[in-house]
Amino acid sequence: MKNRSFTSIALFTVALLFLIGCAGATRSGDRGTPGELPSDPESSLSASTSEGENQLSDEELLLLEDDSDWNDGPTEEIYTVPDPIEPFNRVMFTINDKLYLWIMIPVAKGYAKVVEPQIRTGVKNFFFNLGAPIRIVNNILQGKGKAAEAEVARFLYNSTVGVLGFGNPAKHHDGLNPDPEDLGQTLGVWGIGDGFFLYLPVLGPSTLRDTVGFVGDRYASPVGFVEPMELSLGLSGYNVLNTLSFRTDDYRTLKDAALDPYVSFRNAYIQLRQSKLRR
Amino acid sequence: MFLKRWSVAIAIWCLFVGTVGAGNASPTPMDFVKERIDQIITILNDPTYHTPGQKGSQRDRIWEVSQPMFDFKEISQRTVGPKWDLFSEAEKEQFTHVFSSFLGNTYIDKIQGEYHNEQIVYLKELVKEPLALVRTKLVRESVEIPIDYRLRKNDNQWKVYDILVENGVSLVQNYRVQFRSILEKEPPAELIRRLEQKLQEQNQALQ
Repeated sequence: MKNRSFTSIALFTVALLFLIGCAGATRSGDRGTPGELPSDPESSLSASTSEGENQLSDEELLLLEDDSDWNDGPTEEIYTVPDPIEPFNRVMFTINDKLYLWIMIPVAKGYAKVVEPQIRTGVKNFFFNLGAPIRIVNNILQGKGKAAEAEVARFLYNSTVGVLGFGNPAKHHDGLNPDPEDLGQTLGVWGIGDGFFLYLPVLGPSTLRDTVGFVGDRYASPVGFVEPMELSLGLSGYNVLNTLSFRTDDYRTLKDAALDPYVSFRNAYIQLRQSKLRR
Repeated sequence: MFLKRWSVAIAIWCLFVGTVGAGNASPTPMDFVKERIDQIITILNDPTYHTPGQKGSQRDRIWEVSQPMFDFKEISQRTVGPKWDLFSEAEKEQFTHVFSSFLGNTYIDKIQGEYHNEQIVYLKELVKEPLALVRTKLVRESVEIPIDYRLRKNDNQWKVYDILVENGVSLVQNYRVQFRSILEKEPPAELIRRLEQKLQEQNQALQ
């Protein structure tokens, strides 16, 4: 029995690696977990102008900060992660690239043609809602009580008013859209460094820490408990396809805009994770 | 009577000066970004360009409108980073020229290919002279992409020098890391050569 569950977990993980894609360095912070919904701290269409209202949060101050230290001598303030296995990573990058361009993106495009956006959005919301318990746990582990409460409230609200999470009525409420947290970020908050950069088969860019976090989050995901295993894997794969269907062009855009796509993806991923860690 | 007329005159004069004054005030960073983006969207929606063979002239028109929005000299300097000092004056100019053309080609082509009436929401602007940040959000089906513009004021004119996607992924930094790995092994001329090669490939593809 015990043996069987271990084998199934191992199989599950391996198969997941084949099923789950994460669109390169696009919105990949929530890789493999249900499609992330952007949180907007203010959904007001109006702009706050005039200096009087300009209350800068720390994060915004950082975004505004001038990185003009480019001429202050040889040191640069760019956060980088070591990449000792770059040759291996580059091979993986090439394999993933073909997998994306030849298989996953065409399939996602075909799916997007057949299935209406409303339905795909519903599916995305459903899976995102399922991920709430994991995000709640990670918020608690990071000591983000307010965000954890917001996650709980959103989960209850979207599961009931949103009909099992297919709808996302919470989207229109301020304070019910906290930034998604995952185990990789939790470990980062606890002071564990990125380790080194990894380009995973199918999953795309990651670091040692984020990979560990990803496996931990998968382990706690409700989708992982679905029996039989084939169905569980099918669900994960479907979720990935569905998420990708919204952003089929992004991978190409990023790739075409780069002089060295591998270095570009690596940096974009690291920047994205850093920005998530700050929030 | 006279007083009354006088006060009316003053009131009208104030009103007039007020409006003229407002018209002369330099636009806020957000107004500036919004005005340019609105113009680009107008060109994208213009049916004149929707006939076959009009893509090139549409691209040129977008390039014309969007160019004043950016400070390419600043972008080039920041993208190269500390190694900018290794460039000769001629190389600096060459680099700025080829890199801005490359950026224009890359992103205008993408916008042309992928714009489907997405809505752009202007969230807020943060001003800390001479710098500013304009926060916007691109709304697509059910995906929202935060896009922030970093601006700098030069000669009383705001210009964009960096774009941040997804709350803080800087385009300038992304290119800087790519160029840095090239400049560690190669002289500036080689980086310029590679950009020119890429630009040629682009131009052939766009024909």
